[in-house]
Amino acid sequence: MEAIEVTDLRKSYEGTPAVDGVTFTVRTGETFGIIGHNGAGKTTTVECLIGLRRADAGTVRVLGEDPARRRRALAHRLGVQLQDGSLPDRIKVAEALRMFGSFYRDAADWRRVMERWSLRPLARKAFGDLSGGQRQRLMLALALVGDPEVVVLDELTTGLDPIARRETWRLVGDLRTAGTTVVLVSHYFDEIEALCDRVAVLARGRVEATGTPGELIARTGTASLEEAYLALEGVDR
Amino acid sequence: MKAFTALAAAELRLLSRDPASLFFMVAFPLMLLVLKRGDSGAVPGYLAMIAAIGGMGALPGLLASYRERKVLKRLATTPISPVLLLGAQLVAQVAAGLAGSVLLVVVTITVFGGQAPGDVLMLAAAFLLCSVMACALGFVIAAVVRNTRGASLIGMLVMFPMIFLSGAAVPRRALPGSLRQIGDFLPLTPAVEALGDAWSGTAAIFPLLILAGIIVAATAAGAALFRWE
Repeated sequence: MEAIEVTDLRKSYEGTPAVDGVTFTVRTGETFGIIGHNGAGKTTTVECLIGLRRADAGTVRVLGEDPARRRRALAHRLGVQLQDGSLPDRIKVAEALRMFGSFYRDAADWRRVMERWSLRPLARKAFGDLSGGQRQRLMLALALVGDPEVVVLDELTTGLDPIARRETWRLVGDLRTAGTTVVLVSHYFDEIEALCDRVAVLARGRVEATGTPGELIARTGTASLEEAYLALEGVDR
Repeated sequence: MKAFTALAAAELRLLSRDPASLFFMVAFPLMLLVLKRGDSGAVPGYLAMIAAIGGMGALPGLLASYRERKVLKRLATTPISPVLLLGAQLVAQVAAGLAGSVLLVVVTITVFGGQAPGDVLMLAAAFLLCSVMACALGFVIAAVVRNTRGASLIGMLVMFPMIFLSGAAVPRRALPGSLRQIGDFLPLTPAVEALGDAWSGTAAIFPLLILAGIIVAATAAGAALFRWE
């Protein structure tokens, strides 16, 4: 069973193609990575997946639904962490979790989510007073408060210190154990290598290669995913 | 409904944590009342002023900042419609204005022994329409001006002349003729009139209809021009 099917997705902004024929599938329960340099089309692909943008051409199916047409119905089953999303400065951590929980039909217990993501000590702290890492952790917790079947995480650990990164990795690993489908967008290769079952490499709006990190490394005869990516991109090392 | 209640409660809470809103919608009108030695004739104008400060002074910057800081975008990935957030903002602004207004009226009557409003029901109706209208105009400003600082600034530039020329801050008869004529064309003027009529117990329907018309027109314009991103 495929959780996500993207076929020949195309999207241009003012005539410039951002995504130019992207095709990939994500299996249910798998953690799927999308890597690529800035401007490769990662965020546009994600925004089409979650129904924020309508594709110019191609089909997108998430849990069997078209996100552009059925955004709200799908949103109940989807958890999203945006690269650039934020909250009002004066909202407190516990308030944000409780409020977001109220948006979903079958939400998780927001108190438990707060506990799980070690946010309890920050419960009464305002969003504007949180550190970068704390904000990131809250945004991740908000992506999960609706108890989603599919989670899309854009730039998961950007701005986190090494300890917080490893802690976040562990929690994403827990999601996989629980059978949640995860789409992880990142330009950190170590992260993708550590967390993802399969990876799509995006470049210039197209999928350059798909496979497990091990397959990509073997195919390019390199020693790490980062080197495999550079080889696929034709960059001299 | 559960989501809307949660959103509106959250917005009201955020508003109550904003010192500027608290000052201008609650403390400032009370200070003016004290300066006027509790003259109840000035109170209807001050009620219009409270509504204008919330809807046109505060709301445009707030909405623009929600857009600029991608709060609207984040909400658009949840099952709720971002339109619900606009509704929640409206409820919060109206509720905050209502709280400031009730306090002002109660202080006028109990502390200064002022005359009570002649038609409380019509006064409430006039305030609601006035407040919703101010928010609808604020919505238009947030739709036309894209960035936060610009929207705040334009909101203030629209609001301040309007409260002086519409009779909200000073009676219109105290203004020179040409300035009084400008007031004839300002949307806050029928609001001040409606509030004044209800206060003196001679409420008429016509100014309320004008307010309702402005609300419909401004909401339609705002909805056509507003961009979520």
